[in-house]
Amino acid sequence: MSAKKNSGITQSQKLMVFVLTMSLYGLATLITELIPKFQVGIVEFSVEYFLFIPLSLAMLFDPLSAALGASTGELVFSEIMLGQFGGLGELEKFLTVTIGVYIAGRLVRDPKNIKAVGAAAILGVILQQFMGTVVDIVKVQTAVSEFEAVPGLPESVFFTEGFAFLNDVLFSGIFFCMLPTMYLVPRLYGKIEPLLGMKPRTAEDKNQEPVIPAKVAVLSIIGFAAAIGAEYLAESGFQIIDWEASWAESAGAMGTGMLVAAVIALIVIFWMKRNSQLRSAA
Amino acid sequence: MLEKLSENLFDKLSIDFLRNQVLKNAYGNNDTVIAALDPRILLLWYLFFGLVPWFMDNVALLLGMFFLVAVTTRLAKIAPLVLFLFCLGIFSQTGYLLIISLFFGGNGETVLPLLIMTLKVAVVSLASVTVFSGLDPDRLANGLEWFGCPERFSFSISFGYRMLPILMEEFQNILLSYRLRGNAPRKEGIGGKVKWLVYQVKVIIMAFYPLMLNTAKRSRTTVEALEIKGYRYASQNMAVKRIRLASLRLGQKDFYFVGISTLWTAACFWMAWQF
Repeated sequence: MSAKKNSGITQSQKLMVFVLTMSLYGLATLITELIPKFQVGIVEFSVEYFLFIPLSLAMLFDPLSAALGASTGELVFSEIMLGQFGGLGELEKFLTVTIGVYIAGRLVRDPKNIKAVGAAAILGVILQQFMGTVVDIVKVQTAVSEFEAVPGLPESVFFTEGFAFLNDVLFSGIFFCMLPTMYLVPRLYGKIEPLLGMKPRTAEDKNQEPVIPAKVAVLSIIGFAAAIGAEYLAESGFQIIDWEASWAESAGAMGTGMLVAAVIALIVIFWMKRNSQLRSAA
Repeated sequence: MLEKLSENLFDKLSIDFLRNQVLKNAYGNNDTVIAALDPRILLLWYLFFGLVPWFMDNVALLLGMFFLVAVTTRLAKIAPLVLFLFCLGIFSQTGYLLIISLFFGGNGETVLPLLIMTLKVAVVSLASVTVFSGLDPDRLANGLEWFGCPERFSFSISFGYRMLPILMEEFQNILLSYRLRGNAPRKEGIGGKVKWLVYQVKVIIMAFYPLMLNTAKRSRTTVEALEIKGYRYASQNMAVKRIRLASLRLGQKDFYFVGISTLWTAACFWMAWQF
């Protein structure tokens, strides 16, 4: 209990921050669909996202709840509600947004220090975009077999992804993340906290803990690895289920058949277990 | 030409239009074949069509799968906006790569791998459109919860669908009041257009300030109301879960759906193997 009192945030206040960030960032990702894209040559000026909302809230409140709320909001509002849910690919965005926002929120000790707020905001964006770029490159490399053999493809992927990264950081990062965050955080500070029934965050709150504890760093790296792994699954799949080659011989056909049977059996077992689990609950 | 197109899109994509489309998508198609199916079956179905295409390289097989998911999308009566966004998404994921790789000295050989990749992306996203847009949000949330998805996530889905129209309306009201009080720069010449756009974007960003304060109040009310009902305890309790998930039942339709999908996919695999 004393540990909870130290950080000054109760569980239900964490839920409030989660709900707040989720609805606001979800709305913002929908709004971004409204703003038209401008193309000057191949330079595209688009509002990639309104990351300033979760960034500001992560700096003012509990960073983890805000980060999780932001990525859930984006997933629910703009991906699932508009039917743009891309399956495993979304996992990557979910993880990168969570890590970026969380670290940015964690870096700020005193929300009144505008310079620190701006620096943390742009750092969060760079981090998120960089992870996204790496994952994107890996994705194309794995989805297109014999990536290197296709003429012109590797260069074009590196070029477009690298360019998109710079474009996003310099354009969206500064105009839509850093500047609005620097505008909003000092204005919201001291006003929005009482609405959720908590005290404003001060520099003293966080003094006991290091800015980025080792645990957070390790978890972030694991999260990033999972993000790449989710995309990487495709390539390893080429070897595991290389059915065209294995189909020709009957042993391979047997193997494939057994794999399918095993998957179906697993699903049925899970189904029955879950049913009995629910039924036995008194 | 390009300017005209973006102008046109901007006219069409007003907040009202977007809100209507989202509402239609969420609640407008409860009577379709897809919406009547068991969400658990649909999620398993999605698991197959969302994963397996990534591992396949055969054009005939991918085309067959594409046909099946296109039919299910048709059955789910998806809102036009969603389909438009789907097409845009496909192009932005692979279409532009084709153009740029031609620019870097690619040739006809570049087309086939990119066609395969486009088909993969298309199958996966159409399957997700079918399941996630075709289903009632509450049923979707129930289905996810049955599979042991964190309660908070399924709560987010139900909450999101109910809150979004209110939030959008409020945002629009704030935006309109800013516009009433503000003085937008004139939209003449290229400089004027840029100024006008910068002004619009600035207003949108500033409008989030009051919206943040309003939403903060509202989310406190929401959470307190949830606490009164014992939400955090109920979300962990199996007995509550059983009552909530009791509405999920497998029916005859589900067996037909699974059967037809399986037969068609098997036929595609057989075709791909033959030729």
